[in-house]
Amino acid sequence: MAVAIRVENLTKKYILRHEGGQKYVALRDVLTGSVKKAIKGEITLPSKEEFYALNNVSFELQQGERVGIIGRNGAGKSTLLKVLSRITEPTSGRISIKGRVASLLEVGTGFHPELTGRENIFLNGSILGMSKREIQSKFDEIVAFAEVERFLDTPVKRYSSGMYVRLAFAVAAHLEPEILIVDEVLAVGDSEFQKKCLGKMQDVSSSGRTVLFVSHNMAAIQNLCDKAIFLKKGEVQTIEEQRK
Amino acid sequence: MEFDIIIDPAKRSSNFRKDLWKYRGLFYFLSWRDILVRYKQTAVGVLWSVIRPLMTMLVFTVIFGKLAKLPADGIPYVLLVSAGMLPWQFFANAFSEASNSLISNSSMLSKVYFPRIIIPISAVMVSFIDFLISFVIMIGLMIWYKFVPSWNIVFLPLFILLATFVTIGLGLLISALNVKYRDFRYIVPFIVQFGLYVSPVGFKSDIVPEHLRFWYSMNPMVGVIDGFRWCLLGGNIAFDTTGFLISLLVSVIIFIVGFTYFRKMERSFADII
Repeated sequence: MAVAIRVENLTKKYILRHEGGQKYVALRDVLTGSVKKAIKGEITLPSKEEFYALNNVSFELQQGERVGIIGRNGAGKSTLLKVLSRITEPTSGRISIKGRVASLLEVGTGFHPELTGRENIFLNGSILGMSKREIQSKFDEIVAFAEVERFLDTPVKRYSSGMYVRLAFAVAAHLEPEILIVDEVLAVGDSEFQKKCLGKMQDVSSSGRTVLFVSHNMAAIQNLCDKAIFLKKGEVQTIEEQRK
Repeated sequence: MEFDIIIDPAKRSSNFRKDLWKYRGLFYFLSWRDILVRYKQTAVGVLWSVIRPLMTMLVFTVIFGKLAKLPADGIPYVLLVSAGMLPWQFFANAFSEASNSLISNSSMLSKVYFPRIIIPISAVMVSFIDFLISFVIMIGLMIWYKFVPSWNIVFLPLFILLATFVTIGLGLLISALNVKYRDFRYIVPFIVQFGLYVSPVGFKSDIVPEHLRFWYSMNPMVGVIDGFRWCLLGGNIAFDTTGFLISLLVSVIIFIVGFTYFRKMERSFADII
């Protein structure tokens, strides 16, 4: 089988500054900081700390594999998915990807509360990389999957949280990428809908597409995935193949 | 084996144009969203986009034409002001919107991939719609005053293009800076307010003393606004070629700087926003 994703020595480093609780840099601090340095003639080191969200991670995934990524909070799961979906750039290392990638790191990204369900399907679809024609052709399927037919022309701010999530997942589930990256999004919705989502992901991969999936729900991972990558503190601990 | 996407910080592969083409629909959908959302839950709705420019023109005509009594060379003062107001309002709105666009869409930046440049550019496109509405008002005014434009008007599209070009360039620069330094949220309204008085919106460029002309033309909007006036009101308005070329040069520099800085910074947007 062909390689879908190859990750070599991937590292993502963040620099933590310990200077009060400032959330963002103000221009003033940059200016006064450099003036202070010049006056004092010394280099004041605002205690910096390097933090490796991912440290030398390597693995290879085949086309059509369903892969679970497991690890505790802060193990680097989300960072890995963000790097794979090109939201943030790694510090070093190399990733080679074959095929179109769609990632679902959060349910309903780009949904606008004032817009109706119908409008949001188009908006969200195009944010996820679908063309207008693609959305139009899948529109009925998406609506049926989300079970929101009656509320299509209601602003989503009036939706119940369940409806909101169903609609958002439905849009993403109807992307047809070669590689689907899904973060912990199934923690929402009732158990029946969760089952439906898992089923949908199974369908996706049985048609030869690769699924990468983060979850804390071990049962779901055991059920769905045929490979699991265990991360701990940014490093790959083990990669296990599951035989069913 | 051929891979479609290579992510390697040491070697920047250029998927930029391919991605931009793939996501071209997003330009439309983001602008469409902003336009739809803008007038939701308002009583008069779209009418606001007519009322706003109309009120500003009125105030300007009164202040500069009636109170300050600036020379107008026989052209109705309302027309003189609105011809300047047209590109200026477009620039002011588009530039403010574009500058804040990345921050107001921060959740999208940190959760989905798409070419980041689409966000500020579609913010400019939204203001372009307002520009078109104001343009219709302008035509209405010209008809009202029975003013016949000269052939200069065929050059207008060029100046519209230049206005868009300047706005996008500056918008890209400030929006990228804004991600890291939120100070620009406070600087932008100031630039817009200050710019209104140093640009020839309420007056004609001729009243600027000759020895200051060079510095005055460094403002890229001077070339744009003078150009608009020359196209729309034509005839006895002289075209300052040197001034225009200086403005054009500054615009090009701003665009290159803005675009390059944006492309350089966009990789780290998700980390610092």
